[in-house]
Formats: sequence, C-alpha cells, structure tokens
Amino acid sequence: MKRIDFNPYILLSVAPTASADDIKAAYRRAARRLHPDANRSPGAAVQFQDITTAFDLLSDDAKRAEYDADIKEQPEGMAFNFRVIPSKRTIGLLPEPQVFYLLADIIPDARANEATQKRESRLNLTLILDHSNSMSGNRLDRVKIATHQIIDQLSSEDILSVVAFNDFAEVVIPATTVTDKAAMKARVSMMMAAGSTEIFQGLSLGLQQNRQFLAPRLVNHVILLTDGRTYGDEDRCLDLAREATKDGISISAMGLGQEWNDKFLDELASLTGGSSAYVQSSSAVVAFLNEHVRSLANVFAERMTLSVAPDPDVRVESVFKLAPNPQPLPVDIGSISLGSLQVNRTISVLIQLEVPKLEKEGFRTIGRLAASGDVFANRLQRQQSVTEIALEVMAEPPVEEPPTAILDALGKLTLYRMQERANEALENGDVREATRLFENLATRLFELGESDLAQQARAEAEQVAYTKSLSDKGRKAIKYQTRHLLLASGSGEASA
Amino acid sequence: MIICPYCACNNKEGMLYCEECGRPLNSSEPNATLPTRQLNSSSDNATVHATWGTARFDANAQIVMHVRDSTETIVLKPDQTTLVGRYDSSSTQRPDVDLTPYGALEKGVSRVHAAIYRNEETDTLTLVDMGSANGTHLNGQRLLPDQPRVLRDGDEIRLGKMVTHIYFKT
Repeated sequence: MKRIDFNPYILLSVAPTASADDIKAAYRRAARRLHPDANRSPGAAVQFQDITTAFDLLSDDAKRAEYDADIKEQPEGMAFNFRVIPSKRTIGLLPEPQVFYLLADIIPDARANEATQKRESRLNLTLILDHSNSMSGNRLDRVKIATHQIIDQLSSEDILSVVAFNDFAEVVIPATTVTDKAAMKARVSMMMAAGSTEIFQGLSLGLQQNRQFLAPRLVNHVILLTDGRTYGDEDRCLDLAREATKDGISISAMGLGQEWNDKFLDELASLTGGSSAYVQSSSAVVAFLNEHVRSLANVFAERMTLSVAPDPDVRVESVFKLAPNPQPLPVDIGSISLGSLQVNRTISVLIQLEVPKLEKEGFRTIGRLAASGDVFANRLQRQQSVTEIALEVMAEPPVEEPPTAILDALGKLTLYRMQERANEALENGDVREATRLFENLATRLFELGESDLAQQARAEAEQVAYTKSLSDKGRKAIKYQTRHLLLASGSGEASA
Repeated sequence: MIICPYCACNNKEGMLYCEECGRPLNSSEPNATLPTRQLNSSSDNATVHATWGTARFDANAQIVMHVRDSTETIVLKPDQTTLVGRYDSSSTQRPDVDLTPYGALEKGVSRVHAAIYRNEETDTLTLVDMGSANGTHLNGQRLLPDQPRVLRDGDEIRLGKMVTHIYFKT
C-alpha cells in the first residue's frame, strides 16, 4: 500500500467523524472536477491521485481505524500555513473570458526560530564549479575564495562535495562531512582553468556525489556555477534535473558574466525548486555564494511543492514565484517544486488564471490548490494543505479594489513580462514590436523612478532598432533586474 | 475587453496592468506620475475643453493643428494616412499638410517628415516619423523611425525645430 503522508480527511474536506456515505459523496464531488477525463490540467491529475489514495484509505474500515489510532499517538507538531488571496471576491457575468489572479503564500510556523532550525536541518551540499578556460584569472580566484568561505561556514555535521568541470568532470572534494577544513581548502586551491564548458558532465558527476549522502533528514542541494554556454546537452541536463527532483535534490544555478545560457539555467533551476541568478561581476561572486549557502541553513521545511488544479473550464496562464527568489515557474507540470521553506520567510506565488465566458450568476468553484512539504521540526512528517477557491459571479459586481499585495507584485511582474515579450518578438524577427516594447518598458521604468534600469532599456531599444539584435549583457541585466524589482514588494521579504 | 487609458491597447477583462505599456488599468492608482509641461499662451484658450488628453478620435472628428508663433490654425479631417511635410519644386508628392507657409524650410522640416495614421476600428490616431532628417518629437520624446505612437488631444509635436500642438475637435 502506498504510504499515506497527508491527512485524508483534509484532502476530501470531510470531518474526522464523517460517515462512510459522506466520504463517498465527498469523493464523488471532488472526482467530478479532478478526474483526468474531465480535467486535462496536470495539477488535477496529481490531486486526483491524492484524493483517490485518501478515499481508498477511508473507505476501508480496517485501514481507517488504523490511521485514526496512528494520528492519536502523534504529538502536535509545528506546521506551515497556506493562505490564498484572490484578486477579487466577485466576478462579473461577462460574455468573454476574463483574467483572475491568486496570491498563494506558504508561511512557516511563527514559533520556529533560526537557532533551533540550524540544528534540525543539516546540509548535504554539492558545488559544481566551471573551471573552463574562460574562468581563468580573477573569476576562478574569486570562486576559490567563495568556496573557502563556504567551507568555513559549514559545521562538522554538514556534508560537502565539490566537482569541477570543463569538457570533462572531476571530483575535487568527494562527499564527506566537513571535518578537515584545511585539507578541503587545499584541494580547492589546486583548481586550474582549462578547456571548454560542458555542463552535462559536471552536473551528472555532481549529482552522483550528492546522492551518496542523500537523506530526507538533510537539505540536499546542488549549486552550479558557470560562465559559459553548453552545446547540445541541455535536454540531457534537464532530464538529470527531473531525476534529481524526484530524489529531493534541488539545484540552484548561477551565471557569471555574459556568455551563459540564461533560458536553460532558469529552466534547470525552476524544475527542481532551486533559484537562478545572474552575477554580473566576478567581485560579487563571494558575497553572493556565501549568502546563498547561509539561507540554506535556516530551513523549516524541505521539498515544498504546489499543485494547481483549476476546474475543467478554467485555464492556468502563468505561475510566478515572487519570493524568496523571484522567478517564473513551469505551468505544465502537476506538482511544482518550490524548494525549501526557510524560517521566517514566506514563499509567495502569483497564479494567473483565465475564467471562460460565464453564463449564470451565483457561487462557483475555480479550482483547488495544494501545498505540501516535509517539516523538519515535526520529525519530517509530510504535511499537506488544501484550499478550495470559490467566487461569486454577479451581473453587476460591486467595485472592489484588488489587494495591495497583488497590485504591487503585478505592477512589477508586468515589467518583467514586457522584457520577456520583447525578447520573444526579437527572436521571431519582429524588430518593430521588440523596439516598441523596450521603449514602453523604458518609459514605465522612468515613471517608477528606476532611472538606471530605464536608461538600460532605452539603450537596448535603440540597439534593437539599429542593429536588430540585443547586447548579451544588456539583455541579461534587464531580465534579472526587472525580476529583482519584485524583491522590494511581496510579503515574503517583510520579515527578512 | 479593457482599453488602456494610456496607450489605447486592448487588454483581456480582469487584467490589472496593461500588457503593452505596463501602466495600471484601473484609474485610481495613487502614485501614478503624470508628465507636466508648460503651456504657451497661444494655445491656452484652445486647451480648455473637456476632451483634453483623450486618445479617442471619433469618426467625424477633426484635427486642429497650431503652429507655435503663428495665429492661424490648420483644421483638417484626416484620411487613413495624412502626410505632414513641406512642398517645394523638387518634391515628388504634395503632403496633405504643407508647412511651407510657416517657415518649414528654415525650421528643418523634411519634405516627407511624418505621417498621422487613422485607425477606424479603435478610433485612434497614431504618429509616425517617416525617416525625417531632423527627427520628430512627441511631447519631448524623440520617435524612432517607423515606430507609431498614439496621439492624444493636446499633444505637442516637434518637427525639426517647428513646434506644433494638436487638438481634437468633435
């Protein structure tokens, strides 16, 4: 039997005292909306499996009794809270499709604090470092300093491995507990720059090292740092990332300089719930990596996932993580990896949905959202929280101001989308459209007081108009800095 | 459908920000900053009417064009394309709006300087620079050649060194 690691009563929205008939009725109701025949969305498929497992358990008297007894024995532990805010409570009865937003916050228990969590969440960290020819000199030196500082930061309970790669990969430090720091540092110092960049080699060896100590009790994390473009092995890398996600390993990717493939690294990281970042100058590497590793140490819950199951006629248009690391998330997979939930930090996700043309007034459901994760403080019990979203449809809905959190985030997200669309237009050869969007972006950035970024957008607009292409540097700067604007808003940063 | 009050683009119902220009679609944003500019006396009397700032140009509306430092106004009913420029003996075509009498040559207006396009579906006008030698500025911002911009009632258009103001008359 599949181990049940979430509360089946909550999944079916029934009381623990519900009768067998009530449970059956609740299952039928949910299945009508989530069955793969009725609902094509990948999130619905995941949730359908969940409710079916829950129903199988609760409809079998013996299993249900066993589960109830189990629950009684368990002490009350800490949990995360799941809060979903819609952009409005009532929507108009319109003869055309309309857009609708949900802000989903996953909030760690307020009782958790950094001191206790540090002991609870130990680190199984792998660094995969590019030492191709282009890294020679200052860049590699900085990476070495950063690695030394990371070694200093880790405790003897943590596990570290370091893999270096160019067109072939080697283990610099095999996965081991961080006890002999001097020897580890010496090995890092010996790295030399040579060869070209082939990410698959490094990623595959790095994951192999990380798997040696793979355990649910640990924060299993891989950091990939590269300054180059890999050719032809992107798909194989993404396959590796998918496998890693299944094992509970998250991957963060950092691009240094201008050459690297941002689209690919973004996808790689967001598949696994990790983050991707652009480190513009080599002098920023040290602080950046250190900060990243520090954040890994304060984990409240690991392997957080979110599944979005819209009703059959509702469509998920986009999912974007606002905090802690703003980045777009894939919409076409059932359970979206969100990585780790840190103490005192909220994970915020903004979901854009499209509701079809509506025919009648009254309440209607829009979809179900489920968040799950392994809570360290709670003996790693997997917890799940499910929310139903329902709205009232009215011919003449009252005017309501959208929640400020959504307005703030969306205003900035729109800017990120504009640069994304400008890039798409350029890829499709539509120079006119790309120029126009970059110009609009510059204007809007000026109005918002982001004059440096606005200047950059304006410079790119001109570059596009005259040369029909973008500078690699400008494009990345605009992409990651418009994304960075989101950090200022979003409730996730409030307590940081 | 929601029409953006700033750029007149169509957005899906329920959107909160315009996908084209990034501005909020609900008008009540408190920190929206609007550009201001000093009006000169010759155009002051013409600006005091209700439609100032609108991008909507109705089917039977007319354009009123003021050239700065001149007392005359040019009134026209725009076709689908209205060419603005100056006419001289070597011109290949006569522009719909000939600015020669207003000192176009000295002020650096090209023969075919700019065009105003009329979109009858959305009831809007757009201004395009036709690759002029000295450039076209809309409200102080230089236009890139062949990049259309929406025209609004009260806009300032600078052709080379010639400053004009556009008003819509319904």
